[in-house]
Formats: sequence, structure tokens, C-alpha cells
Amino acid sequence: MKLITKYFTISALLILSLSSCSKNETTAELNVTKNMIADKTWYLDYSVTNNVTKSYVGQTTYFINFLKSGQTNDSDGITGTYSIQKPNNTLQMSVNATTNSGASAIYTYEIVSVGNQNLILAFTKNNVRTQLYYSIK
Amino acid sequence: MKAFKLPIRQLLFLFLIVFGPQILSAQSLFSKSKTFLQSKANGIYLFAGMDLAKQNIAVGNYSAAFNYNLSKYNNDAFKPGFFAGISAQTSYKQNHAYSFDFGIHRMSTGTNYKEAAGLPPFLGTFSSFKADDIFWMLNTAVHYKTVLNISDTSKFKFRLVLGPSLDTRLSNTSEDNIAHSNYHRFVLRGDIGLEFTNRTYYTFFLHYKQGISSFTAAPINTTLNSVEFGMLVKASDFF
Repeated sequence: MKLITKYFTISALLILSLSSCSKNETTAELNVTKNMIADKTWYLDYSVTNNVTKSYVGQTTYFINFLKSGQTNDSDGITGTYSIQKPNNTLQMSVNATTNSGASAIYTYEIVSVGNQNLILAFTKNNVRTQLYYSIK
Repeated sequence: MKAFKLPIRQLLFLFLIVFGPQILSAQSLFSKSKTFLQSKANGIYLFAGMDLAKQNIAVGNYSAAFNYNLSKYNNDAFKPGFFAGISAQTSYKQNHAYSFDFGIHRMSTGTNYKEAAGLPPFLGTFSSFKADDIFWMLNTAVHYKTVLNISDTSKFKFRLVLGPSLDTRLSNTSEDNIAHSNYHRFVLRGDIGLEFTNRTYYTFFLHYKQGISSFTAAPINTTLNSVEFGMLVKASDFF
């Protein structure tokens, strides 16, 4: 009977030891988000402001590059760095860049949805929310 | 909490170190423990085989910032994996055969999404949850076995097998699922099957395992189902 008790005790301990471990969730979420976004050129397909949708599909449109190194540049000639955070349980992207003329361009976007081929960003300006729909070609 | 990063090889090694000596002495364990359910040990068997597995996924009202194109990830099919393990066969009062099984499974699963989201024209069908489809599992099962009188039982035996089965996920999940702790470590399944024994030389088995508990955390409900077929032979034939 001692052997049986020992057998089941060791089994239970092994199984419990497997159940008590987890990786930091936020770190994982930021890593996955960056892996989905980075080293791609994102083209603006649609923008939605006040329920009005503008389509840029089939047109020469705005695009932005996000590199794995943390650098970013876009079709307007803005270059700088970007980072992804999750304050207040919301995924955000911060862009700290400069324009062609040397002016500072600092933006913060909410990441509404991100995938390997589709990205939805949002920002609010003067209490008006705009959503930007990007895809890769 | 720190990440659990014990690799599979070390886990298997740990499993063998912990269980090996006791498995080898299980025959004597059963014979020494006369009070243990008045059981009589019939032997230690080794088994191996293939399984075909699928996850049926109902995402419910799960929401996350990720979008996964379901045209790439929806796969309503059973996918093949393999397993091997050890079975201690015994009987209760001579009439009721049962077994304790311990197996390591390498499961590859189809991922059948029952629901999909859409955001036309920008996004087609997508899901915020991407199911993992490859797992290493430690399976522990108790099977009750009863002989079916459908042949000359002195030569061949067909047994109906029933019992609960507990799978413990040994492998880590993908980072996509770590991000929201989507997968449980354990999944409870019901097991029903048939065994065919040829004069105790070998036994072929075919089992169907139906998920009882969800493999994923609420609100995602994932049932893990599989069909397993393989062969069971006496360990003493090898050692």
C-alpha cells in the first residue's frame, strides 16, 4: 500500500508542477503584435471618420514601413522610431519621428486589430475618432 | 511567475526516472498489495500506435486585438499523430478486467472553427483566436474492459473498453495563446473502444476519445476528439 501511495503522490506532484507555470502574458502579446507588424510595408486601404468611409483601394496611397529594429518611415518622408505598449489594457503604438522639414511628428495610435496581413489603427483628434485600415500587398 | 521551459526531452527523462523503477516493479506491486481492490495483476504491456485528432472550436464572445485569416487556419479534418506507453492490466475478482495506462502522445490536430467573424470588405472571415495544432501530451487513463461473446473466446477475444482519460499538456503553447492564457494544462476525455486479442500474443485496439472538458479557457470552448488505433504487447516479450 505504501508503494501505491508513493506512486500516486509522485504522479500528483508531477502533474501539479506542470500546471503552475506561465509566461508573462503582456510580454507575449507585445511580442506577437510586433512580429505581425514588423518588416512589412502597410498600405492604407480605408479610413473611417464619423462613419464616413474613404477608400484608397486601387489608388496610389499612403504607406508606412515598420522595421524589426524599431525604425519606421512612410511615403510622406517621415522617419523615426516606433514602439508598442499596452497601458490601461489597450494595445498602443507610439511613433516618434521627424518630417522632411525637420519638424517633430509624435503620434500615438490605438491598435484595434492586428494580423499578419491586416492592421487597424485608430486615433482621436478633437474628439473625433478615425480608424485607419491597412493591409500588405 | 517565471516561465515553464522544461524541454520535452528532460520531461521524458524525469518521467522515466520517477516512474521507471515503479513501472518495472508494478507486477510485484500488484501481487504484494493484496488489499488493493482485491486485484490480480495480469501483466505489464507496452503499446504504441497512431491517432487522428481534431479540435472543435466555438469562440463565443472572446475578443482580442489579433486577427487570423480563417481561410488559412480553419481545417475541419482529423490529423495524424502518434503515441507510445505502458499499460498495467489487472482484474477485479476475476470477472472485471481493467487497466491503468500511461502514454506520451504527440498530437497533431485539425482545427474546426464553428464561428467566424468578418469585417467586409476589409477583412474576410477571421478569428481573434488561433488554435495551436501540435501538442505533446501525457495521457493517463483507467479502462474497464468486458469481453464480448462474438467469437470463440478461447482463441480470440473482443473486448469493449470504457473509461475516463486525462491528458496533461507537456508542451508550451504558442506565444499567440500565451498572450491570453487560452489553453488549459489538462483536458478530461471519455474513452470508448474495442480490443481484439489473439491468444494473448498481441492485441489490436481502436479507441475513440471524446472531449468532456474544454481544452481552452472560457469563453472559448474547445473539445479535443481523437481516434486511436495501435497494438498492445506484453512487456515480458521484449525484456
